[in-house]
Amino acid sequence: MLETFQNLYLGFSVALAPGVLLYAFLGCVVGTLVGVLPGVGPLAGISLLLPATFGLDATRAIVMLAGIYYGAMYGGSTTSILMRIPGEAASVMTCIDGYAMARKGRAGAALAIAAVGSYVAGTVSVIALMFLAPPLARFALRFGPPEYFALLVLGLLVLAFMSTGSMVRALAMAVFGLLLGMVGIDQMSGYFRFHYGVVELGDGLGVVPVAVGLFGLSEIMLTAGQAIRPDVIKPRFRELLPSRREWRESAAPIGRGTLLGFLIGIIPGSAHIISSFVSYAVERRLSKTPGEFGKGAVAGVAGPESANNSATSGAFVPMLALGVPSGPIPAVMLAAMMVHGVSPGPLLIRQQPELFWGFIASMYVGNVVLLVLNLPLVGLFVNLLRIPYHFLYPGILVFSIVGVYAVNNSVVDVWIMLGMALVGYVLRKLDFETAPIVLGLVLAPIIEMSLRQSLAMSDGQYSIFFTRPIATTLLAAGAALVLLSLRPLLTRGLDWRTRLTLAEKGEKV
Amino acid sequence: MSPIRAAVLAVLALAASGAAAQDAFPSRPITLVAPFPPGGVADLTARPVAVAMEKVLKSPVGVVNKTGAAGAVGMQYVATSKPDGYTLLLALSSISIIPEADKLFGRQPAFTVDQFEPIALISADPTILVVRAESPWKTAREFLEDAKRRPGEISFSSSGIYGTLHMAMELLSHASGIKLRHVPYAGAGPALTAILGGHVDALASGPVVVIPHIKAGKLRPLAGWGDKRVAALPDVPTFKELGYPDAEFYIWAGLFAPKGTPEPVLARLREAARGAVNDAEFKGAMDKMQTPIAFKQGEEFRAFFAADAKRLADGVRRVGRIEEKK
Repeated sequence: MLETFQNLYLGFSVALAPGVLLYAFLGCVVGTLVGVLPGVGPLAGISLLLPATFGLDATRAIVMLAGIYYGAMYGGSTTSILMRIPGEAASVMTCIDGYAMARKGRAGAALAIAAVGSYVAGTVSVIALMFLAPPLARFALRFGPPEYFALLVLGLLVLAFMSTGSMVRALAMAVFGLLLGMVGIDQMSGYFRFHYGVVELGDGLGVVPVAVGLFGLSEIMLTAGQAIRPDVIKPRFRELLPSRREWRESAAPIGRGTLLGFLIGIIPGSAHIISSFVSYAVERRLSKTPGEFGKGAVAGVAGPESANNSATSGAFVPMLALGVPSGPIPAVMLAAMMVHGVSPGPLLIRQQPELFWGFIASMYVGNVVLLVLNLPLVGLFVNLLRIPYHFLYPGILVFSIVGVYAVNNSVVDVWIMLGMALVGYVLRKLDFETAPIVLGLVLAPIIEMSLRQSLAMSDGQYSIFFTRPIATTLLAAGAALVLLSLRPLLTRGLDWRTRLTLAEKGEKV
Repeated sequence: MSPIRAAVLAVLALAASGAAAQDAFPSRPITLVAPFPPGGVADLTARPVAVAMEKVLKSPVGVVNKTGAAGAVGMQYVATSKPDGYTLLLALSSISIIPEADKLFGRQPAFTVDQFEPIALISADPTILVVRAESPWKTAREFLEDAKRRPGEISFSSSGIYGTLHMAMELLSHASGIKLRHVPYAGAGPALTAILGGHVDALASGPVVVIPHIKAGKLRPLAGWGDKRVAALPDVPTFKELGYPDAEFYIWAGLFAPKGTPEPVLARLREAARGAVNDAEFKGAMDKMQTPIAFKQGEEFRAFFAADAKRLADGVRRVGRIEEKK
């Protein structure tokens, strides 16, 4: 314990040195920016700036890149809440209730809660990273394909609670998403699926173009199609801050989101977007008023936003403690270390204490910087809503196209986004929800891959799922969930979903 | 102006313009395409190469990452670019694999190797075979003997089917007559995670990625695929020494131009590449990444490239299509 504090002292002496502090600040600013810009996510931001870090020393480079990473998680919520455009993939869930809050004039509150939630999640998860990194990393490594598959199955079951209204409609959308996820090279056999001769489709449909199209651009088209022009929201200053009730309702979701996000982030190969999906579903399941979700529930913002932030710290656990990449972004950061002659590996913490502890300390500092940076910006951002729609929407359209193009220099991605905008428009006209599509798209490739990898490991024996303790436990938990959801069937009661649908129908008649 | 002076001036002007036309290349910035994302081997090699080439060419060389479809997007882009020397490619061994895999599936290939003009080989890193430190195999011989005894039971992870790490194992399996169980992962990083987590038994990997784990006592190196031993691992034999010369394999990085690039331009680019690999800053950058420089150009590189492409093409064909194996 004492040693940890001594190390932390060393870390802060590194992180607070003006040179390092400057780069941490720079990283946070750039991160917020790439988070705010629709389409450009942290991976694109880090990739673009990686060459610029070659001239720096390893500590500064890594501190700046990390700043971009978690900074993007702060910034990502901004456009989601204000304009229903996910600033980066992990903010997709925030689009739903965050935007609904903004329509009710609570944009400021939503932004503030997202920022504070991110701060709490960021700081708490760094503490966890600091004390638990080595043992947690060893545990995370035990997650092979069978465990991952079992986890995803459990996740899917939880996610069945994600949408309102008709279960059939939600499932139809999820299946549509799973089908979209089938596009691209099959990693296991080398087959190209549904590529129609377009080489760019080899990597499948990107989450970002699909999400920006389905959520953001379809919203613009819907607004443009309204017979009566909607009023521009004019936020008043005293409405910028969350009310006491909103604080109270977000406290527990922030805590749960932090824990969930961290645990999911640790597992190699998982995506942050999954942490925000799961957090949303959990909050809705636990909520006393699940009917509020989708109509501006504070918990639906607080949970996922905290989860995606703490997932970033979680992702650093295997990277720092063992030198293994837990996803594409840590992989780029590992490369950045190698360029500087630092070998990432299990010995990193011992051989490079300044780097490791400086990095940890910089994350405490960075989270404070981001909170200070983002809270005052709330006022500024909210005022964007005052811009009349005929200026605002063309502007958003331009930013979305440029952002999505810039990530891969790919016109194909722009077409995917525009195509998805049309699909989203039609589906929403028909009262379908689009979130399950994104979920399906994200899960399809990884769930398929982990199932087939598991079977490749066992030479086709399904018993592999029942001989490994973690996988078995997760699958048993899933089975328990299914049984629980069957209970209303047996007791002839109606579950909340059915009641809600009936109530809504009653309203409409 | 007297007619003589005018004539002299005219001749001088002609000479000057002639000279200008001769070293006109490069008269504008050159784009070096890395077909993989930033942080990968191609990108990390391309950047110092570009900086060093700039010094020789006295003209900017910019690296652009054109990624997608395991590198096919960027490679196809360069293959179909104007052959004027202003669009170059930094490719890895996979350039020979992708068209073969396309052929295997009866697809219209995104590009063929004939569409490129090899300029220079920059680096070549032999893969090495690692197993977990607590695994029973102490030497490559023990590993191979056990694999012979239990065909299809020892598993290995790879960066994806037909990927470089898969091909290395395929060449070894073919040369030594063993059969291993293949578990593909989406990239070299996840493949390393898999062996560290104990989900597979073996991995063929570039040395730089696994050396820290070897030093930390988590992985044990058994043998290398190279012609010579890896400098950082002097005690680890090569498969060649063990009697399997056909298993030779490198993850290499080379510089290519589109076919049809004029010879004077190619000559200038070869000169720039030679200057680049001898540049102190470039050497320093490669040294930090512990990647050995292996410079070859002209006929020497052409021969290396052709032999390597043939080995890999045979390998891809031997692996065949998944559903055909039963």
